[in-house]
Amino acid sequence: MFYREAGQFKTTYQSDSALFPILQDKIGVLVGLAIFFLAIPLVATPYLFSAILIPFLIFSLAAIGLNILTGYAGQLSLGSAAFMAVGAFATYNFMLRIPGKPILVAFILGGISAALVGIAFGLPSLRIRGFYLAVTTLAMQFFVLWCLTKIPWFTNYSPSGVIRAQQVVILGYVFDSQVSRYLLTLSIVSLMALMAKNMVRTNLGRSWMAIRDMDVAAEVIGFRPLQTKLTAFAISAFYCGVAGALFAYTYLGTVEPEAYSLDLSFRILFMIIIGGMGSILGSFLGAAFMTLLPIGLNMFVHHFSLPMTLASNLELMTFGSLIIFFLIVEPHGLARLWQIGKEKLRLWPFPY
Amino acid sequence: MNVIFFIEVLIGGLLSGVMYAMVALGFVLIYKASGVFNFAQGAMVFFAAATCLGISETLGISIWWAILPTILVMIALGLATERIVLRPLVNQNEITLFMATIGLTFFLEGLVQALWGSHAKALDLGIEDIPLSYVLDNYNIMISQFDLISAAVCALLVTVLTLLFSHTKTGRALRAVADDHQAALAVGIPLQRVWGVVWAVAGIVALVAGLLWGARNGVQFALTFTALKALPVLILGGFTSVPGAIVGGLIIGASEKLAEVYVGPLVGGGIEGWFPYVLAMLFLLVRPEGLFGEKLIRRV
Amino acid sequence: MSGSSKLDTDEVILDMRNISLSFGGVKSLIDVSFDLKKHEVRAIIGPNGAGKSSMINVINGIYRPQKGEIIYHGKSRKSMHPYYAASTGIARTFQNIALFRGMSVLDNIMTGRNLKMSSSMLMQALYWGPVQKNEAKHRRKAEEIIDFLEIQHIRKTPVNRLAYGLQKRVELGRALAAEPEILLLDEPMAGMNVEEKQDMCRFILDVNDQLGTTIVLIEHDMSIVMELSDRVLVLDHGSKIADGGPVEVRNDPQVIKAYLGSN
Repeated sequence: MFYREAGQFKTTYQSDSALFPILQDKIGVLVGLAIFFLAIPLVATPYLFSAILIPFLIFSLAAIGLNILTGYAGQLSLGSAAFMAVGAFATYNFMLRIPGKPILVAFILGGISAALVGIAFGLPSLRIRGFYLAVTTLAMQFFVLWCLTKIPWFTNYSPSGVIRAQQVVILGYVFDSQVSRYLLTLSIVSLMALMAKNMVRTNLGRSWMAIRDMDVAAEVIGFRPLQTKLTAFAISAFYCGVAGALFAYTYLGTVEPEAYSLDLSFRILFMIIIGGMGSILGSFLGAAFMTLLPIGLNMFVHHFSLPMTLASNLELMTFGSLIIFFLIVEPHGLARLWQIGKEKLRLWPFPY
Repeated sequence: MNVIFFIEVLIGGLLSGVMYAMVALGFVLIYKASGVFNFAQGAMVFFAAATCLGISETLGISIWWAILPTILVMIALGLATERIVLRPLVNQNEITLFMATIGLTFFLEGLVQALWGSHAKALDLGIEDIPLSYVLDNYNIMISQFDLISAAVCALLVTVLTLLFSHTKTGRALRAVADDHQAALAVGIPLQRVWGVVWAVAGIVALVAGLLWGARNGVQFALTFTALKALPVLILGGFTSVPGAIVGGLIIGASEKLAEVYVGPLVGGGIEGWFPYVLAMLFLLVRPEGLFGEKLIRRV
Repeated sequence: MSGSSKLDTDEVILDMRNISLSFGGVKSLIDVSFDLKKHEVRAIIGPNGAGKSSMINVINGIYRPQKGEIIYHGKSRKSMHPYYAASTGIARTFQNIALFRGMSVLDNIMTGRNLKMSSSMLMQALYWGPVQKNEAKHRRKAEEIIDFLEIQHIRKTPVNRLAYGLQKRVELGRALAAEPEILLLDEPMAGMNVEEKQDMCRFILDVNDQLGTTIVLIEHDMSIVMELSDRVLVLDHGSKIADGGPVEVRNDPQVIKAYLGSN
C-alpha cells in the first residue's frame, strides 16, 4: 500500500530513465543519505566508524570497481587488490615527491595510475578470454605486489617496507578524527557511486553488458571489443585505486603491500557475488555483508565461549558456502532479493 | 657458469615440477569429465594431507595406515562435492562453476583448520630428503632421494590412471563423458555416477600429492595457494591432457627454479611468486589454447 | 508482392564476386558470386549446410573468405570487418538469437543505437543535460521501433524471459535501431507459428516499403520466399545453382533436384 506506483505517470522519457523513478524510492534514498551524513556522525562511536563504517564504504567502492569489470563487462578479475595497492602507493608517492599537492588531487592521480595499470592488465583480453583471462589477472596481481614490495623507490627506501601515510589535510583542516575521516570517505564514495550509476545506464554501460553477454553480436552492432574491455579495466581500476588510497589514508594509516594481498582480491570478488553482480546496490550490500559477518561470528563465538580461532575458520566456511549457495539459488545476489522484496511490497497487502 | 650447479637446479626444478604436475592431474581429470575448472583442487590437497595426518595422530597410527581411511574420506568428499555443488549448477557457464569452486576452496580451508588446527605440521613418510649417495659420489650432483621417489610415484600414478581409463568399463565411460555429455547420456552412461567417480579419483590424486608435498614442505594453509601454481601448468599443458599436465609441470617447475636462481639475485629475489604466471600469460598470448589443448572454433 | 516495378533503379549496392570460404578442410562456399540491388528483397535459399549463413557472415565480416572480392560503396575489398560493416549501414539478425540476455528489450534495442551515439565517458558519468537529452532522443527512436513491432507491453522485460518468437522480434528491432541501409536476416521466422510468421512478413515488407531498406533474407519456407522476395539466390553444398526471380528459380530443375521433394 505504501509502495505503489499507481498514479505516478512519466510524461517524458527523461523522467522514466531517472535514477529513482518511483517517488518512494526517491524519498528512501534522501532519507538514507540524511541518516548517513547527518544522523550517524552524531550518534556513532569511534569504534563504529573505524571498525565498520569506514571499511564498509571503502570496500563498497572497491566492489563497485570490480562489479564494473566483472559484473557489467563480464571479465573475471582476481587482481582488484593490486589495483588498490597501486592507488595507495601512487597517492603516497605523489604526496611525497610533489610538495604542496592537495590530497584530493593525489587521490585522483592515484586512481589514474591504477587505471593505467588496469589498461595493462586488460591488454591480454584482446586474445585471451574467460577463465584464462582470470589467470592472467592473477599473474598481474602477484607481479604488481612483488614490484611494490621489492622496488625500494615505491616505499621511499623504507627499511621495513611499511610507510606511514601522510596526514589528510584539505584546505587547512586536518582529517584525523574518526568522524571527519568518515565524512570524507562518505562524500567521495557517494559521489563516485553516483557517477558509476550514471555510467551503467548510458551507452557506456550498455557497451559493457553487450560485450559480456554476446561479444560477437556486440561487434556486429559496432561496439569495439578491445576498446570496451579496456575502458572497463581502466574505470574499474580507477575505482579500486581510489578505494585503495582511502584504505591507506583513512583506515590503516599505513601504506603496505601486505594489506593488498590475493586474499583481499578474493574478498572483493565474494562481495560482488553475494551482493549481486551487475548491480551498484549489490556492491554496497555485499560490502556490508562482508564487513558485518566477521563481527557477527566473533560475537557468536564469544557468546558460546568457543576458541577464537574458530571464528576466523567459521568465517571462511561461511563465505565459502554462501558463495556456493548464492550461485545456486540466486546468482544475482542480495540485490535481486532486495528487488524481489520491493516488488512484493508493491503489492502488499494484496498479494494476488 | 657451473654446469654441475645448473644441472642440480634443473633437476631440482623438474622434480618440483612433478609435484605441480600431480596437482594439475587432478584438475585435468575433473575438467576432462565435467568441464569444470576445479579451483578447489589445491584445497583438496591440503584437506587430504591434513586429514591423513589428523587421523594418524588421533588414532595413534602411522601415516601409512591412516591412508586407507583418508581415501574413504576423500571419496566421500568428492561425491559430496559433485552432489551438492556441481549438480545444481550443471547448466551454468564455466565462470559460474569456477566461482563455485572458489567458494568450495574457502569452505574446505575453513573446515580443515577448524578440524585439525591451523599451525603448520610436519608429515613424516619415512623417506628422507637426502641426496642420492651414488650420484653424489660419482658425479658430484646432489639429487634428493625424496624427490626421485616422488617422481616415481607420479609416474606410477599416471600409468595406473592411463590403464584405468583405457582398459576398464568405468574408464571407457569416463572417456565417453569427457568427449560428449549428451552422447554419453544417449548411450545410457550414468552421467552423475561417472562424475562422482571422477571427483573421487581426483580426491585420491589430491591425497597422493598432499602426502608428498606435506612431507616436503609441511602441512599448512599455504599449501592451498602453492597449489595455485597448477594453473600455469594447465595453461601450458592444456586443460584436457594428462601428458600435457606432466610436461607443463616439468616446464613450470624447471623454469621457475632456474629463473629464481639465475635471475632472482639481480632483482631482489622472490621471482618464484609470479614467474610461472607471467610465463603462462605470455604463452597464452601466442597460443590461447595451451600446448596440448584443443583449438576452439566458435560458430555463430 | 514481388516484381521489379517497385525498384526505381537497378543500382547495385553490394557485389560479391567469386567468394570462396573454407574451414580447415571443409569448403563452406565455393566460388559464389551475386549482387544486391538497392531496395530489393533478396532471398538466399538452399538445403541445410548449403552455406547460406556463411555467406551472410562473410557480408557482415564475421568470416573472412579465402578468395574473392567484395565491392561495397564502390570500394573493393578482400573481406569485411564487422565494425566497418556496422558503421556503413549493414545490420543483421542471427539464426540462433544473439540478444543480450542480461538486458531488457528496451536496452537491447538501445544498443542498436550505439553507433549513432557520441558522448564522452566523463559526460556520461555526470549525466549532464546534453547526455540526458541525447539518451532521450535515442530513446524516442527506440520507442518508434517498439511501436512498429508492437512490443510495447514487454519493453522493460529482460529478454531471457521472453518467448522465442518475441525474442526474434526484438532482435529485428535491435537491427532496425541502427537505421541500416542493408538488413541481413538469418532465418528470422524459424520456430514461429503461422500467426507470428504473418506478423514478421508484414514487418519485413513494411521495412522494405516504408524505410526503403535493402533486405537479404535466409528463409526455408518457400511460400514466404515467393511472397516477399524480388530475387532469389540458391546455394547447394557451397555453390550457386540458381539466381533469378522467385518463379523462375522455383521451376529450375537443378533447384528441384537439390531440394528433392520439398514443397
